[in-house]
Amino acid sequence: MELQGSHVLNAPPEQVWEMLMDTDVLARIVPGISRLEKTGDNEYKALAEIKMGPVSGSFSGGLTLSDIRENEGYTIHVKQSSKIGNADATIRIDLTPVGPDQTQLTFDGGAKLSGLLARTGNRVLSGVANTLTKQFFENFEKELKTPKEA
Amino acid sequence: MTQITVTVNGTSQTHEVEPRQLLVYYLRDKLGLTGTHIGCDTSSCGACTVHMDGMAVKSCSILAVQADGCEITTIEGLAQGDQLHPVQEGFKECHGLQCGFCTPGMIMATVDMLQNNPDPTEEDIRHALEGNICRCTGYHNIVRSVQWAAEKMKTSAKVLDGASVSPSPVYASVNLNQQQQQQL
Amino acid sequence: MSNKYIGQSVKRLEDKRFITGKGRYTDDIKLPGMTYASFVRSPYAHARVNRIDTSAAKDMPGVVAIFTGDDIASAGIVGVPTGWQVNFRNGDTMKEPPHPLLVPTGSTVKHIGDPVAVIIADSREAAFDASEAVEVDWEELPAVVSAYKATQEGAPQVHPDAPGNLAFDWEIGNPIDEVNEAIEQSAHVTTLEFVNQRLVPNAIEPRAYIGHYDEVSDKYTLYTSTQNPHLIRLLMCAFVLGIPEHKVRVLGPDVGGGFGSKIYHYTEEALVTWASKQIRRPIKWTETRSEAFMLDAHGRDHITKAEMGFDAEGNIKALRIKTYANLGAYLSTFAPAVPTYLHGTLLQGLYTTPKIHLDLYGVFTHTVAVDAYRGAGRPEATYLLERMLDLAALEMGKNPVQLRKQNFIPSFDGVEQPGYQTQVALQYDSGNYHGVLDRAVEMLGYDEFRQMQQEANQNGKLLGVGFSTYIEACGIAPSAVVGALGARAGLYESAQVRVQPTGKVSVFTGAHSHGQGHVTTFAQVVADKLGIAMEDIDIIHGDSDAVAFGMGTYGSRSLAVGGSAIVKSIDKVLEKGAKIAAHKLECSVDDLEYAEGKWTVKGTDKSISFGDVALTAYVPHVYPQGLEPGLDFSSFYDPANFTYPFGCHIAIVEVDKETGRVKLKRFIAVDDVGNVINPMIVDGQIHGGLAQGIGQALLEEAIYDENGQLTNGSYMDYAMPRADDLPSFELDRQVTPCPHNPLGVKGAGEAGCIGSTPAVVNAVIDALWSGGHKVKDIRMPLTSERVWRAMQEQNTQILHS
Repeated sequence: MELQGSHVLNAPPEQVWEMLMDTDVLARIVPGISRLEKTGDNEYKALAEIKMGPVSGSFSGGLTLSDIRENEGYTIHVKQSSKIGNADATIRIDLTPVGPDQTQLTFDGGAKLSGLLARTGNRVLSGVANTLTKQFFENFEKELKTPKEA
Repeated sequence: MTQITVTVNGTSQTHEVEPRQLLVYYLRDKLGLTGTHIGCDTSSCGACTVHMDGMAVKSCSILAVQADGCEITTIEGLAQGDQLHPVQEGFKECHGLQCGFCTPGMIMATVDMLQNNPDPTEEDIRHALEGNICRCTGYHNIVRSVQWAAEKMKTSAKVLDGASVSPSPVYASVNLNQQQQQQL
Repeated sequence: MSNKYIGQSVKRLEDKRFITGKGRYTDDIKLPGMTYASFVRSPYAHARVNRIDTSAAKDMPGVVAIFTGDDIASAGIVGVPTGWQVNFRNGDTMKEPPHPLLVPTGSTVKHIGDPVAVIIADSREAAFDASEAVEVDWEELPAVVSAYKATQEGAPQVHPDAPGNLAFDWEIGNPIDEVNEAIEQSAHVTTLEFVNQRLVPNAIEPRAYIGHYDEVSDKYTLYTSTQNPHLIRLLMCAFVLGIPEHKVRVLGPDVGGGFGSKIYHYTEEALVTWASKQIRRPIKWTETRSEAFMLDAHGRDHITKAEMGFDAEGNIKALRIKTYANLGAYLSTFAPAVPTYLHGTLLQGLYTTPKIHLDLYGVFTHTVAVDAYRGAGRPEATYLLERMLDLAALEMGKNPVQLRKQNFIPSFDGVEQPGYQTQVALQYDSGNYHGVLDRAVEMLGYDEFRQMQQEANQNGKLLGVGFSTYIEACGIAPSAVVGALGARAGLYESAQVRVQPTGKVSVFTGAHSHGQGHVTTFAQVVADKLGIAMEDIDIIHGDSDAVAFGMGTYGSRSLAVGGSAIVKSIDKVLEKGAKIAAHKLECSVDDLEYAEGKWTVKGTDKSISFGDVALTAYVPHVYPQGLEPGLDFSSFYDPANFTYPFGCHIAIVEVDKETGRVKLKRFIAVDDVGNVINPMIVDGQIHGGLAQGIGQALLEEAIYDENGQLTNGSYMDYAMPRADDLPSFELDRQVTPCPHNPLGVKGAGEAGCIGSTPAVVNAVIDALWSGGHKVKDIRMPLTSERVWRAMQEQNTQILHS
């Protein structure tokens, strides 16, 4: 499954970058993520609840960051397993400044699915991926508007 | 566990059920009504079709607790004693079944359809039954069965004294041709 | 012998229980103390099992036992066997890697769904919950799913001891040099590269098994949704569990369709049987639909290049074929036979092609096993031939009906005229191929159709007609022949006719009905042969304790082989009955004639009824000296040859120019299945076969992605033919009796599925050509998108040329 998207956020790259490196923020804005714990340098443990059409499940697994380019982006590798199948995704995230206070966040990658997830979820997956992407950016904007340490 | 009271095939039943139990498992496991079958896990095949308050439902997509206070009719409750329902007769008369596994669901869906549309065209029938999968018959004789039943129900309704009139047979007895006679 | 029932559309005796919900399928059966099994299955197509942790699952409520592959291995159980051996063409032995019941740690799973552990619990839900608590450390490995790619350098290997992923390579036909030469000398060569896609059989009843070991009798009972209980018992006892056969009873109760997928001995059958002894309780396993998609043997999956050479007049001179046949990860029971002896041997078709050669590769991939699915090999052969014929006609500007007729084998009855010896090993029994084609074309109205097609074209619509004339080999099979070809079993059938003292008759057959209506058809035969009422006959099947032996039901064999065995036993009953009758009537056996249920002294009114003779046989007070009491005979019938039904199928389609959507407007089928016992049941068999064949052409395909994940494993994703996808069928019949079995029957179960697929595809291609889109092939299933793309690409080609 291909994962691609792009969105312009109302914040400079430095602020977006900071948020992308903050586990608490990520746990709040990534759809479905219920817990994100740092387990090592650029390594995290993640728990997620995802429903895709007829298929829903609790996922657990790891998340690794690599190719880290401060304020420019990184590559995120997610390995999640669940009883309904496993997901293995590699996504490159790029931040490009747009004007003084805006940043274009672009991601490009793919996910490999297995098990029941692949068998009965595939038909609806692109729709689900679109929905999750939309949610992610919505959450991101909401987070940007939320005053810090309010 | 939740207590439910359901009238199944005319008999009131009260049981404790797990909230997650599907109606089809309640019917099969708890009540032993194994005529209702399970053919898939995505509510696509229709083998589990029963009537809930007179309407056809797929019992794999209904929780037993949702049936609380409802009237359920399964394939076992369709005939009146020894008198088969015209749809049951139609399936036998027109060879509308082979392995029999989809048949109870197919019959229950048909009964519901004919309640709403007593005079269906072939297209109506095929459209109404597209939620029930049969792998054996190619649907050809299922369509004939439904037409036969529709005809019989119309004719029966017309005959005031209740005398049963059968539609003309789809499979009349066929005589051997000459070649077969010689060989045998 | 009377003619009261044979040839009549007798309504089915078994229907009453099915239409009232009283059928008894395996999952309907509940035994005291029964437990339920749930499997831990691989989510990967290829992965090493590094570790299995069952500790959390063990403590869950209701869990009775957990077994892993290590437990099975330490019990000395290697795995399930295949029933057929096809060696490499150089004589090397077929590669037959073990197929374990559960994959042990350290080993690799080889397709999604390959099991590594089984949980047995007090309830279905408890077993399922616990199976989710088993932790498995998988090490994912690269997978290969295409039979062609699997044979290429550097492809992931399914089994370490099968290099190049080859189970065998094989050839049949004339020497390749002769075929090459004939192709080179041909005036026209039609070439087609195509995929005969993978299908899922999809019987609506998912597989279900109950294993039950009884300590008191030291006996195992297996209830199984199978097409052949005795075969399962033989394979399981002799080759898997090593338990004595007489201590195992296999029951095949009502079975909700099979279509081939319930022939094979599956690992779960052996597992529940073995484990029930370990836990001393019955164990039931019922597969989910999701499991059925992953685990039930699939069908077809050939990648083929075919070339057919014609002379200038359109006579076929040669046929050269190369095929990669996907066998899946493990060799299922019949798998090696399907692309070879059930496919290669049918490439003569109905034609006099003098030179034929098939070059075939049987290939392992990281997918579930491919085995016989309705038609098994013969649909693949028919698809190849009939697509070639219609395409050749288009290419050469010939009439597809005429092209067939000029190449047909002339009619022969197999009695006065000898059978037809093909270039590919078989000898056809009897045939009248022009007859079925002429009748089908008459039903079509060929000239009127071409007129309509032209008019439609002018009105912006695309109409097409597709032809298919097929032959199949069924009534499987003469044991000596199949034995020579690598079968590890005989393919005869047994029948016992037990006349009860009151003259009622119990017939025990080794055939197994899972929708075919044997209880009715067989009773019609027995009733007429004995001249008694059908009500006085009971047909018993599906119980290895009741029935002496049996090879089961597949390959359109039940009536041709099983029915013939019944006739043999009836002949024995009548022969002995005549001796008893003669004694009672004080005459010689030669003075008697048997008709309408009684023996009569010729030319007199002195007679004795069948019932009286039966009673005398059991109360032998006045009885021939030296004759044993009783009236009960068993027979085994081993056919002399395969039977060869044939027919002509014609499809008419309309293709939407804008969307590529194909609408099947008419489907005509004229089949010759030999003599017909019950026309209604034969029609039903044809209808069902047609729907499956049309389903392959237009709707169905099992799709694995490149990682070996099955991406459409549910009824929401895999397009099963539904009522509104199909028209009513137009059927007719021709009767050319089989010359070598006592009933003259050929078999009808697979015919519809074998002939129909190419007719539909040919019709779509014809429609496209009529609109100027000279498309050679569209990959099945012919979805709107594929047809639309084919039209666009063709347009582009025309624009650029």
